[in-house]
Amino acid sequence: MKTKTEAKRLAILKGAADVFREVGFERASMSEIRARIGGSKATLYNYFPSKEKLFFEVMYHAKERELASITHTLNPDADDLKEELLHFGQRLLAALYSPEAIAIRRLAIAESRHSNIGKIVFEGATLPIEKQVAEFLRKGMKGGALRTADPKIAAMQLLSLLESELLQRVLLGVVSSVKPEALNSAARRAVETFLSGYGRR
Amino acid sequence: MHVKKSDFKRQAILDTAYRLFRAQGFDKTSVAEITAAVGGSRATIYRHFRSKEELFVACMMAAAENYLVGTLKHLDASHADPGVALRNFGTSFLSFICSPEQLEVRRLMVAEAARSGTGKLFFDKISTLRAHVSAFLSACMASGTLRADDSNLAADHLGALLEAEILEPLLLHVRDVSPEAEEIALAVKRAVAAFLRAYAPAGRQRRPNVWRVPPPVEKESHSGGDQVCVGT
Repeated sequence: MKTKTEAKRLAILKGAADVFREVGFERASMSEIRARIGGSKATLYNYFPSKEKLFFEVMYHAKERELASITHTLNPDADDLKEELLHFGQRLLAALYSPEAIAIRRLAIAESRHSNIGKIVFEGATLPIEKQVAEFLRKGMKGGALRTADPKIAAMQLLSLLESELLQRVLLGVVSSVKPEALNSAARRAVETFLSGYGRR
Repeated sequence: MHVKKSDFKRQAILDTAYRLFRAQGFDKTSVAEITAAVGGSRATIYRHFRSKEELFVACMMAAAENYLVGTLKHLDASHADPGVALRNFGTSFLSFICSPEQLEVRRLMVAEAARSGTGKLFFDKISTLRAHVSAFLSACMASGTLRADDSNLAADHLGALLEAEILEPLLLHVRDVSPEAEEIALAVKRAVAAFLRAYAPAGRQRRPNVWRVPPPVEKESHSGGDQVCVGT
């Protein structure tokens, strides 16, 4: 077996990214990717055992960084907790419901039994977001804007509420993209429900 | 009870199709193969199901339909405290969707949704199931035990709260063991508590801990036109 090189790996990732962007994940094939970068099919498979793994490599890391940057915008010292949550919710949904993020999510669910993609997504994206949100809510509870409860549970409930109207539609491909206005109003309804459950009146 | 012969046949087709689709996936399973396993002709299958896609969705959702519709029928909206019915339903719902069998159905549903255009059919089935929950919530809203709002939205929010603590790690196979009854009970209790606070009738919203039934609140008049389902 020939030794793998980083340069070759990057060249494959670059070629694959182009193909995925042009034809989408479903229609992209390993033969097409091979044709784009040259070399043999065996070499390609030597670096990446499947189209799924390759797609994940190409797409996931950029998405992970984007999601992390969104949670860091949550400012616990902001005057208006509702506005802060609303803004966060809208940005989060916009990032989660981009075509790439949806494809990653589908893959993570569909392949979770056969690969570690589900675990990578859960540990790399779900948990850190949950943690940041819980931290934000904990401060809100401490400051008296929210009633005292387990902030981790409250965070999971808020995140689940944010996706409640759209997740199923998007995962099942009933809608291929969601308009920003629809994302924003779903986020608003979720935050309102969350705050009537956790707000102090 | 008289069960029609064609109902037996339909059930046999569903069972066989389910087994084959589960083992091989959508693409690798043909209607001819299902026919061979179940007996009869292809025409028989197409008399019950219009297409392979429709058969796939019907057999994947059959258990959910039987189970959830059975549970939902017993929901009683006449109680002064909707929490009892919601906790009963929530426990049943969560135990069902967290079973290894149903988790696998959900994975397969997501895996095949984009590949073979069955997503819309799945979504329609799920919407039908959700309509039963909406109807219950709507009855609670009408009798004043929940505040008047869009009952479809309330059903989405209830479902999301119930799934919030448990579903994702199981679905992504980060966790292998299905939750025990106590864990489910605790998650349901917290989800229903948050839901009831959020959807409490106006008079009760100021009480964070409603563990006693408060005096009857005046019913808000409901301006019938605002129950608009929000589409995308």
